[in-house]
Amino acid sequence: MSVFAVWIGKLTAFILHLAKRNATSLPGKVALQVDPRLLQTLSRQLHQCVVVTGTNGKTTTAALLSSMLGQTTALIHNAEGANLPQGLTTALLRRTSWLGRLKDTTALFEIDEATLPLVSRYLPIQFLVVTNVFRDQLDRYGELDTTIEKLVTGIAATQATVLLNADDPLAQIVGLRSGRPVQYFGLAANMATRQVRDQVRDGAFCLQCGSLLNYEGFVYGQLGSYHCPKCGFHTPTADYSGEVFRGQLKVYVANQPVQNLPLPVLGLFNAYNTLAAVACARLMSISMPTIAQGLSLYQAPMGRMQVFNSQPRTVLNLIKNPTGCDSVLQAIASEPGNKVLCIAINDLAADGRDVSWLWDADFELTVEQGQFIHCVTTGLRAEDMALRLKYGDFPEKNLSCHVPLEEGLDVALSTAHIYGDLPVYVLSTYTALYPLAQLLARRVSVYVQATENRPSVS
Amino acid sequence: MCKPLRIGHLYPELLNLYADKGNIQVLVHRCQWRGLTTEVTPVYGTDTYHLQNFDLVLLGGGSDREQELVAQTLYPRRQEWQSAISDGLPLLAICGGYQLLGEFYQLADGHKVPGLGILDMQTVVSQPRLIGNIGIDSPWAGRIVGFENHGGRTTHHHNPLGQVLHGHGNNGIDGQEGVHFQNVIGTYIHGPLLPKNPQLADFILQTALDYAGGNLILPPLPDNLEKAAQQAFMERRLR
Repeated sequence: MSVFAVWIGKLTAFILHLAKRNATSLPGKVALQVDPRLLQTLSRQLHQCVVVTGTNGKTTTAALLSSMLGQTTALIHNAEGANLPQGLTTALLRRTSWLGRLKDTTALFEIDEATLPLVSRYLPIQFLVVTNVFRDQLDRYGELDTTIEKLVTGIAATQATVLLNADDPLAQIVGLRSGRPVQYFGLAANMATRQVRDQVRDGAFCLQCGSLLNYEGFVYGQLGSYHCPKCGFHTPTADYSGEVFRGQLKVYVANQPVQNLPLPVLGLFNAYNTLAAVACARLMSISMPTIAQGLSLYQAPMGRMQVFNSQPRTVLNLIKNPTGCDSVLQAIASEPGNKVLCIAINDLAADGRDVSWLWDADFELTVEQGQFIHCVTTGLRAEDMALRLKYGDFPEKNLSCHVPLEEGLDVALSTAHIYGDLPVYVLSTYTALYPLAQLLARRVSVYVQATENRPSVS
Repeated sequence: MCKPLRIGHLYPELLNLYADKGNIQVLVHRCQWRGLTTEVTPVYGTDTYHLQNFDLVLLGGGSDREQELVAQTLYPRRQEWQSAISDGLPLLAICGGYQLLGEFYQLADGHKVPGLGILDMQTVVSQPRLIGNIGIDSPWAGRIVGFENHGGRTTHHHNPLGQVLHGHGNNGIDGQEGVHFQNVIGTYIHGPLLPKNPQLADFILQTALDYAGGNLILPPLPDNLEKAAQQAFMERRLR
C-alpha cells in the first residue's frame, strides 16, 4: 500500500476541515488518484462489513443501524451518505493511522447501486441489505434493468447473507439472481391499501416471465402484495414482518414473542427502513433491548427532515427520484397549516444530469393538499422546476425563480416571514443539499439537531 | 371547436421511462389555456383500440424489455398503422417509441425486434450509450432542447426533425436528430420534450387540430416561463 496516498488523503481532509469545507468525498478521491488500489488494500484490514444498498432509504437505514450497533462496536461509517468509492475511501481514511493501519475493524457502509459491483469483492461483507429498487438517476445507470444487473453482479461477488424487501418484486429478483442466501423483511398485509395515486410504478411487470403482476394491495410505488398470474412469482413470506401501530413498530418473527419498538421516524417508507435495520441487527445477534435503545437515541442525518430553528423555521429534505420525492411531499402535505416551499434543483453528475424525473414526481399533490402559499425554485435548473410546477397547476403568480441558492433561500425565508413566519420546507437535490445546510446553519443562533419525531427521508 | 381533441396515450404502463406523461400535461394545458377541450385515452397493453378514434397518438420510451413487449403487441397490426399514418394521423414517438416506427430494432445480442415499418429506418444498439444534453435546430419549429439517453443508432433517409447543434442525435455521426415524415414526429429528445419547447408543442397541436377537421388557428400564449427555461438551458447547458 502506498502510505503516501494515505498521507495525501488525510492532509486533504485536514485542509478541508480547516477551510470548514465538506470532507466526505474529496480526500478519498485525491488518495485514489495517487493509489487506485487504496480502497482495496485498506478494506483488507476489515474483519466485518455490513452494507446497505438500494434506491431509497440507504442513509436513513444505515443511520438507524449505526445507532443500534454503535453502542457496542466502534464503527467505520460513511454517515453523510457519500456512497461512491471516494466516499468509502474517505470514511476508511478517517480511521486510518498515518502509517496506514485501520483503527477499527468493523465497517457499516451504504453503497451506491452502480458502485457495489466495483467494490463488493474487496469487502468482507457478512450482511447486505437491499432497501428497495426504484427509478433513480436514469442517465447514470442507463435504465432500470441495468441497475438490477449491477446489484446482482455486486452481491454475487460476496459471501453475504442478503436481507431484502419482501414487498418489492425488483428487490426479490435481485436476491434470487444473486445466488446468495436470503432473508426477507416486509410490512404486514393490513398496512397495504387498494387505493393508488397515479404514480409511476417501476417493475409492475414480472421480471421472470414478462406478465403484468397482480396486486392485492399497495404500500407505495411498486411495493405491496403481488403475484404473477402466469409463472406464480409472488411476495415471499417475510422473516421479519412489521406493523405500524400507534406510533410504534410491532415486529413479528416466527416462534418469537412480538416486539414493540420505538419508531423514531414518520412515514411508511421509514417503517420499512426501521424494519430493515431491526432485521439486520437481529441477524447480527444484537439484543432487542440494545436495538430499542438505538432507536430511541436516533438522530436524523442531513437532509432527512432535518429541522433548523431559523426565523422562520426551516425543514431540509433531500430529493433525488420520483418515489423518494413523493414520500417527502406526502409527509410534508400531511402537516397542518400554510407553508412556503423552496425547491433547489441542480443537475451536476451526482444529482443526475437528466431532470426529467421531476415530471414523474407527484407535485400535483402539493397543489391539491399541501397548503403552499408560495414556492421559490432555485439551483442550476430553477427554471425547469418552475415550469414543472406551472404545468402542475401551481399558480404562476405564487412562483418565483432565483438561480443562486442563497438568493433563493433568502427570498423563501423573507416571503414566509411576511406571511407570519410560516414554516419553510426546503427540498434539494444532492449537490445543493450541503450548501443549503450550511446557509441554514448560519441563519440559526443555536443549531437544533432535534428531529421532533418528524418523518426522515432518504 | 366544441368536439374535444382526442389524444391516445399508448402503453403508458410500459413506455413511461422518460416522464412522457409530462408531454401529455403540456398538450392538455396548452389546449385548456385557449379554451379547447381534450380527451386523453390511456391505451394499455391488453386494451382494444381503433386508430380512427384519435386525433393525435403518443408513443413513449421504455427499457429494452418493455419495448420488446410493445413491439410484439404492435407488430400484428402494422398494416392498420401504416394506412392510418398515410392518411395523415399525427403521431409523436419518443426514444423507444421512435425506434419502433422503423423496420427493426437490433439488440446488443444481435436479436432483431421487428418494428411497425412505417418508416424506412433501422436502429442498431451499440456501445457506448449516447447520453447528454442536446440542442437541435429545426427548420419549422426552431430551437428544440432536451436530454437524450439511447443505446440505439438510428439511420433513415427521411427528413430529420432537425440538425444537431450540441449532442449526439440519431446516431452520433450524421448530425441529424429525429424524423419528420407526413404528420409523424419521432425523436430521441426527452426531458420531457414539450415543456421547454412550446413552439413544437403548438406545431403538434395545430397539426392535430387540422387533422381533426377544425378550422382553427391556435392563438399564441405568453410562454414567459417556457422561454426563460429554454433560454437558460441554452446558455448554461449547451456550451
